[in-house]
Amino acid sequence: MADAGRHPNITLLTGSEVKSVKGYVGNFTAKILKKARFVHEDQCTACGDCAEVCPVVVPDEFNEGLSSRRAIYQPFPQAVPSAYVLDIKNCLGHDPIKCGKCAERCDKKCIDFDMKDEELEVKVGTIVVATGMEVYDPTVLDEYGYTRYANVLTSLELERLINAGGPTQGQVVRLSDRRRPRSVAFIQCVGSRSQKRGNPYCSNICCMNTIKSTLQLKEHYPDIDLKVFYIDIRAFGKGFEDLYRRSRLEGAQYVRGLPGAVREDPATGDLILTVENTATDKLEEHRAEMVVLATGVHPPEEMHIVQEMLALQKCSDGFYLEAHPKLQPVDSATKGIFFAGCAEGPKDIKESVTQASAAAARASRLMSPGRLLVEAITAEVHDEACTMCGICAKVCPYNAISFDKKSGRPAKVNEAACAGCGTCAAECPASAIHMHHFTDDQINAQIDAILEEDPHAVIPVFACNWCSYAGADFAGVSRMQYPANTRLIRTMCSGRVREDFVWRAFQRGAPVVLVSGCHIGDCHYIDANHWTEKRVKRMWRKMEKLGLRPERLQLEWISAAEGVRFRDVMQRMEELRQSVSAQELAETLRILQEEADRTAAKRETAA
Amino acid sequence: MISLNDCDPGFKFEVAAEPGGAGIKACFACAACSARCPVAGHREEYDPRRIIRLTLLGRREEVLSSPLIWLCSACYSCQEVCPQQVRFTEVLTAIKNLAAKAGYAPPSAKQIAGLLAGHGRLLAVTEFENEKRAELGLPAVEERGADYAAILGIAPEAAEAGEEA
Repeated sequence: MADAGRHPNITLLTGSEVKSVKGYVGNFTAKILKKARFVHEDQCTACGDCAEVCPVVVPDEFNEGLSSRRAIYQPFPQAVPSAYVLDIKNCLGHDPIKCGKCAERCDKKCIDFDMKDEELEVKVGTIVVATGMEVYDPTVLDEYGYTRYANVLTSLELERLINAGGPTQGQVVRLSDRRRPRSVAFIQCVGSRSQKRGNPYCSNICCMNTIKSTLQLKEHYPDIDLKVFYIDIRAFGKGFEDLYRRSRLEGAQYVRGLPGAVREDPATGDLILTVENTATDKLEEHRAEMVVLATGVHPPEEMHIVQEMLALQKCSDGFYLEAHPKLQPVDSATKGIFFAGCAEGPKDIKESVTQASAAAARASRLMSPGRLLVEAITAEVHDEACTMCGICAKVCPYNAISFDKKSGRPAKVNEAACAGCGTCAAECPASAIHMHHFTDDQINAQIDAILEEDPHAVIPVFACNWCSYAGADFAGVSRMQYPANTRLIRTMCSGRVREDFVWRAFQRGAPVVLVSGCHIGDCHYIDANHWTEKRVKRMWRKMEKLGLRPERLQLEWISAAEGVRFRDVMQRMEELRQSVSAQELAETLRILQEEADRTAAKRETAA
Repeated sequence: MISLNDCDPGFKFEVAAEPGGAGIKACFACAACSARCPVAGHREEYDPRRIIRLTLLGRREEVLSSPLIWLCSACYSCQEVCPQQVRFTEVLTAIKNLAAKAGYAPPSAKQIAGLLAGHGRLLAVTEFENEKRAELGLPAVEERGADYAAILGIAPEAAEAGEEA
């Protein structure tokens, strides 16, 4: 941290908040609110004289409230920059009657009560998101009695107690009587691996943190009695198993079984844990003078602010979603934005450093050439055809289309930010957007060719490049049998499938049509398939109104690994195709012809 | 020793197919249910985790014939602490239903079924209750044994036998 603070090419903005980010890869503009520190950080020498005279005492957040700090303070000893900060919410203020003692005391006169919040505008090429995590609050897990019993602590509280720089100078004491505990029990998976309360995922760090704590406690107090209650110990990393073994050799007892309840012996403040030891198959009662809850981690609540600002995606567990879990683990789906640390998922220090290094390398790799190669598959607006409705700008998952109704200028696609999904082209009511390499003409030509001969015998399928087309491919290479009359039309995203394409297929005599894409949440273009879903639903309503069977148009989500699903879907489609009679097809053609005539007539009268 | 040849691997699917039984396969044996169970605190042999394990192993006869499965007080404490939403109280109801179908229901359960089939409730309404009801202006309760028995699918004779037991 100190190295980063000293580096000539790194500007640290502490106590600052990113308010907005505009632009695209290589050209981001971030508005940053730098909150007033009330201390000139370049002059402060962190001598601490100010804190000595400050009369305000508040709980110290860094020490989990186990000690107190003043209203002017240094958050923690290694804080960068090494300067004090004034907590203006708790400060009595610079009124000579009320206080202002610190400003009087400071020899260097670096305390400035008139300092204002500053708004900075910074131009950057890439962004690394490292929003970190928060620790789970176990108060809701009533059976463990956290906050009800003084001697039930969280792992973070123990961490502060055992730290030489902590509130007790490294002396582990009980909160009830400030006496050293002779026995400590650890409960694992608190707030983790639970489908109901807390988080469904494994928090990744608690097992090793507990093992480390047992070793530390044994080192400090060799006679201490340690018990760890666990479901599974996950010591999967380099050197971890060795640490686990050492902890057992040192005498920590590992009991497989989760305590059902913790109760306090009011006379002594000791805690009694009821647990079924699954190794002995017996219900056991364990006594401990202190209980430590190995709490899990979860994403900070404010993550959605950054998510909205940068058009990021989240996983079901609330952390940010990487562009690809294996091949692009530090990239976001938006070009030029990367993840480091727990923003992407719970991880320990080593993994966080690895990911941060990778993110920095990915970012500099992008920036060092000074120019950017982008995919040629992008959208382009035909200015003369644009009716300036603004729908394209609304549907673009990348905010790559700039449009301002007041300016009176047609929408404009930023080609560096455009990923080429084609959702704008599909939604444009004026057909004013041209997709390079997946043009309307090309797709129409494919539809016409597929349905040129015996259209009643084929199944046209619109498949997205990343999931459904790959799923069909997987079914093929796995030698799965699916109906041979399947005719695939590839689009980059299911969001590209215009209504017109489907109508055209039905007009050319297609008995059924399948639109398929990635599962909701797995879309390779952030959330473009939401628009596919909306569009297909809109078409179903239209079909019903026209008197066509809506089920003849099907929407299915098929991932690249779901060859079996593709086969099953195609077999269902074939059954559906056989249910469409020649009479129904003739009727469809008549209805669609009438509808086309009506639209043409309407257009004529309008003109 | 448990011989796997004597186990019925289909048993867990049978339990899971019963209403309320679906969660059983999610159990990861953390034993929080057993540690929390007030019945287990009094009867050492009663162990929710063990019942789940035996079921997952496929010890059909051992589970269904066990008198222990009828000890649950349905306090739902296990369900509260279970991190994997196994819903043990409901799973046990599913197991008890299978046990009853296999003819392992204990006499007390049969007796209760008999009372239900005979009176439509767990007690007989006598002249005494009907007099009290008349005083309060309530209509007299009629016994319609045949109807109750038909709803419950229990023959009236069996119902009477249950009542005697």
